[in-house]
Formats: sequence, C-alpha cells, structure tokens
Amino acid sequence: MSALLMDLRRNRLMMSYLIVGGLILLILVAGGVLSDRFLTWRNVTNVLQQLIVLGLVSLGQTFVVLMGGIDLAIGSLVSAVTVFLANFLDWRPDLVWLAVPLALAAAAAVGAVNGILTVVLRVHPLIVTLGMSSVIFGGTLMYRKEPGGSIPRALEDIAYRNVGGIPVSAIVLVVVFAIAGLWLQRTRAGRNIYFVGGDAEAARLNGLAVGRITVMAYALSGLCAGIAGLFLTARTGVGDPRIGAALTLQSITPVVVGGTILAGGRGGVFGTFLGVLLVTMLNSLLNFVGVSSYYQWIIQGVIIIVAVGFHTVRRT
Amino acid sequence: MAPLEATLPKSRKSVSMAAIFERFGLAIFLGVLLVAAALLSPTFLRPANLVNVLTIAAPLGMVVVGQAFVIMVRGLDLSVASLMATVAVLATAFKATSNDAIPVIFLAAIVISALVGFVNGWLVAKRNVSPFLATLAMMIILQGVRFAYTGGAPISTLPPGMSFLASGRIWGIPVNLTTLAVMAVVLSIVLHRSRLGRKIFMVGSNPKAAFLNGIAPDRVTIACYVICSVCAGIGGLFLLGYVGTVSNWVGQGYELDSIVAAVMGGVALSGGRGTILGALLGVAVLVVINNLVLLLGFPIEMQLIIKGIIIVGAAAFYRTRLV
Repeated sequence: MSALLMDLRRNRLMMSYLIVGGLILLILVAGGVLSDRFLTWRNVTNVLQQLIVLGLVSLGQTFVVLMGGIDLAIGSLVSAVTVFLANFLDWRPDLVWLAVPLALAAAAAVGAVNGILTVVLRVHPLIVTLGMSSVIFGGTLMYRKEPGGSIPRALEDIAYRNVGGIPVSAIVLVVVFAIAGLWLQRTRAGRNIYFVGGDAEAARLNGLAVGRITVMAYALSGLCAGIAGLFLTARTGVGDPRIGAALTLQSITPVVVGGTILAGGRGGVFGTFLGVLLVTMLNSLLNFVGVSSYYQWIIQGVIIIVAVGFHTVRRT
Repeated sequence: MAPLEATLPKSRKSVSMAAIFERFGLAIFLGVLLVAAALLSPTFLRPANLVNVLTIAAPLGMVVVGQAFVIMVRGLDLSVASLMATVAVLATAFKATSNDAIPVIFLAAIVISALVGFVNGWLVAKRNVSPFLATLAMMIILQGVRFAYTGGAPISTLPPGMSFLASGRIWGIPVNLTTLAVMAVVLSIVLHRSRLGRKIFMVGSNPKAAFLNGIAPDRVTIACYVICSVCAGIGGLFLLGYVGTVSNWVGQGYELDSIVAAVMGGVALSGGRGTILGALLGVAVLVVINNLVLLLGFPIEMQLIIKGIIIVGAAAFYRTRLV
C-alpha cells in the first residue's frame, strides 16, 4: 500500500516535471522564432547569470515549505544583507573575509529565530515571518534609507566571472541544488524534513525532534537568503533596503510551480529548479518580446493560481 | 451545535478576573495607552492631532472590519491593499471633474471589489487554493492591471468632492467616521445577529461540522471574501479622498496593518472567533501607537518594527488565552 502511495506521489511529481519541462522547451522554441537574439550564447549566459538570486531564495523557501511552513521574511532578509555588506565593506574593504561569513551567519540566525518563535509560541509561521519581515525592514530602513555603500572589486567579480564561458554563479547554483537534493533524499536529516511536513504529529510520535527540524529548515532558508543577498550585492555593487522586497513572493512561485505542495511533505528541489528556470526564461522572453513588467506581474499571478489550482485538484 | 455555543458569550454567572481580562483586556490596554500618550506627549491631546489620528484610522477601520470576516472563516486577504490602490486608480478613470460622478465612482468601486472578492473566495472555496496564495496572486494581478493602465505614473483627475470623504463634516461629525460607524454597526448585526453570521462562526470553528449541519461552507466563505473586498474598496475611496492624488501604491501596507489590527482585536486566525468591536479596538491601538512613535520623535521606521513585534505577540497572546 505504501509502495503504491509512493508511486502515486512520484507520478504526480513526474507529471509536473514533464509539464514544466515542456513549457521550458516551448519558451525556447518561441524565443528562437520570435527573436533572433534570444538563443544566442550571450543571452543564454545572461539568463544563467540571473538564475542565482531567485534560485537561492526559492531553494530556501522549498526547505521551509516541505517542512510545512512558509517564510515571508526572505525579501527583507536579502535587503538587510545587501545593506550590511555594502556598509561594512565601504568602511573596511579589506575585511571581506570577515564581513561575508558574518552576514551569512546572521542571516541563518534570523532564520533560526523564525523557527524558534513558531515552535515556542506556536504561532502560525505566516504571522511569525510576516512580523519578522516587518521588524527587519524597519531596522534596515533606520540604518539606510537610500541605496548606497560600496564593495571591493574582488567581490563584484563573483557575480560576473565566467569559467569556460559559463557563469560561475550558475555553476554554484547547480552544485548547491544537487547537494540540497541529495541531502533531502539520502540523509536522515533531510528525510526528517519530509516527515515533519507530511504529518508533524506522527513525526513527533515517532520520536523525531520536530522543533529542532523546524528550526533547521528556517535556518537553512535564512542562510540561502543570505547567500542570495551576497550575490545581489556583488551584482549591484551597493546596499539597497528595498531590493529584496519583491523576492518574498517571487521565491514562492517556483516552489509551487515545481510541484511542491504548500501543505508540506511533498515535492522537492528538482521541481523548484525547473520552476526557477521556467520563471527566469519566461521573464527573459517577455522582455525580448517587449512585454512590460506590468503585464509580467499579471502573468506571474495567473501562473501561481494555475499551478496551485492544478496541484490541488490532483491532490483531492 | 456545540461549536456555535462555544462562540457565544457565556451566561453572566461566572465572572472571574481572567474572564474580565480576556473580554476587556484590549480596552484596558487602549485606556492605558491613551493616558500614557497624553502624559508622554503634550501634542497628543490637541484636537488637531486627535482629528488627524481619527482621519487615518477611518479607512484602515473599513479594511479591518472586512478583513475580520475573512479571518473568521480561517482565511486571510493579502490583496486588500492592492485592491484599494486599484479602486483609487479606477476612480480617476472616469476623468470626472464634477461631483455628479461620485455615486458612479462608488458604484463602480463596489462592483469591481465584489468581483475581486468573489474570485478570491471562489479560488479558496471551490478550487481549494490556500487563501494565502489565492489572495497573493490576486494582489500581483491587480498590481499589474493597475500599472498597465496608469503606465506607472500617478494621475489626479478627481471630482473635487472626493476630499469631502476625508475632511467633510455633517452636523460637525466627520463623514469618514460616520461611514465607518455605519459599516461597523451593519456588519456587527450581520455577524452577531443574522443567519449568515451564525453560519460564519460555525464554518470558521469547524467547516466539517458546519457542512454536516446542512450549511454550504463554500458559499459562506465566498460571502466573507466578497464582504472583505467591498469593505476594502470603500476604504480605498476614503483613503483616496485623504491623500488627494492617486499613486499606484495608495494603501500600501494596509494588508499587514489590517491583519495586525484584527488579530490584536481578538479575531483568531484559527477561525470562528472575534467581534467587529474588538477589531476596531485593534485599529485604535495600532493607530495610537503609530501616532505616538511620531510624536515622541522616533523615526517612522520604528512603526514597522513595533508592528512586527505586536503581530507576533498578539497572535501568541490570544493563542495561549483562548485555545
């Protein structure tokens, strides 16, 4: 029976992988037909370079959603990291080796606090992370209202460097996703995330430290947001208190498009990766065709509804 | 019928301190806050400041009474702020220069809002989409529609009478407060005295039991989303009257504020609990705190930090109190 359920789960995910993969192919074909520059190596590297930020925040969101939660503090956290890095490095550019680990550790710590608050106060993660987002955003704005600060050239390099024509950031992203996927599937800690997301009560009765796993998922999400903030600072060269604002919502789209269910316990990072590819390529195509970002918002909203509607119908 | 009884006020026999605190805690807190505000800042009690506070409170109050309905059925509406701005932009679409257009603007706003609320409710109730995602997507879509129409630039062709909504008085009483009071009374009657209200409490506390009792939870849920959106739409027009020009971001932040106020006012996110009066008390507390932050000379960003702490704190407080 459980093998059958497992099979169904796999099939359902396979279905969404096939659909998303098909859509990606469709975009490639449409791009090739509609524009003679879309399939050039130059644009391909461009798209690959853009993947990293959305990819990382969506990966973080995937951990949390799989565990049955949601993280709405991601955008504020990304902004805060860019502001911190740009301010710190403007002051002491020689201390990159200190600033970067400090920023990442702080981001992971904020994530952990989100987890701890949901566990200890037993308040819905939506409220906890929404509140946290407000606190971080307020704090960041008190620190810096307008974009500014600077970073050393060496750091800017990580956003733009290519190896064999392929952007380093894209390689980093693929490696990170591969590790995350293996970790979720093959290690006990990773599988525990699925157990808690599937049924927290059953997980508790089976002796899992549900609280600790929850905190771990949120800490990972915070860490991912931190690394995303690092790459974003490297690309823009400044700290901007509002740059991440839109990322909170954008981080959710690839997760649900990729077949991970908001109720938790089902899905995976591979789907999220496909989702990130789809969203980024779609945006690139729409830009090429000259569709304004306003219509891109509408399309994004419709995609969320269609994707979620599709998965919900399959679930029931 | 157990869930219904659980939500109704208990008989007056048992009056404990805890019960009093639970019932009147927020009112007491508001009282303390008002006294503290008066002591801390000499400006607070000045009529100009109080009028200012109330003017800001009115549109938020309108959104909150609607938001309360959605939260009551275990939902959440993140699209209210986007709807407010969209309705405001819609109001300029008439390019009206005379006040004759105001009733038409109101009618159009209510119709559009009701439609938006219906789609939200339909997605949640019939398609089983989580309220969070459905209203989030609606928020982005409305935003896209709005920007596509305005091209990103603010517009300001409005009937001159729109400002009456914010600063007008009839017999010395501000129009916006009268409107809010009327909305609150009507919605309170709907919630606490009507058949629909009883159904809302039942669906909110236990949808399955409600279904087994012959209630169609889907319809009740959709009704709540429609009420919420219409309230937000009306609130959007009053806010527009206050700010005068339409920016694409009118009302930004109202989604968080409305949820904070409702939750602080005792409307439980787990559904089936709360009162309109409580939600309005929540508004009062939030607005006074915001005002105090400014009067005491703290940076305005401090409001965001305090709001964040309040929402988590209030949710935790009511969770341990009521569950």
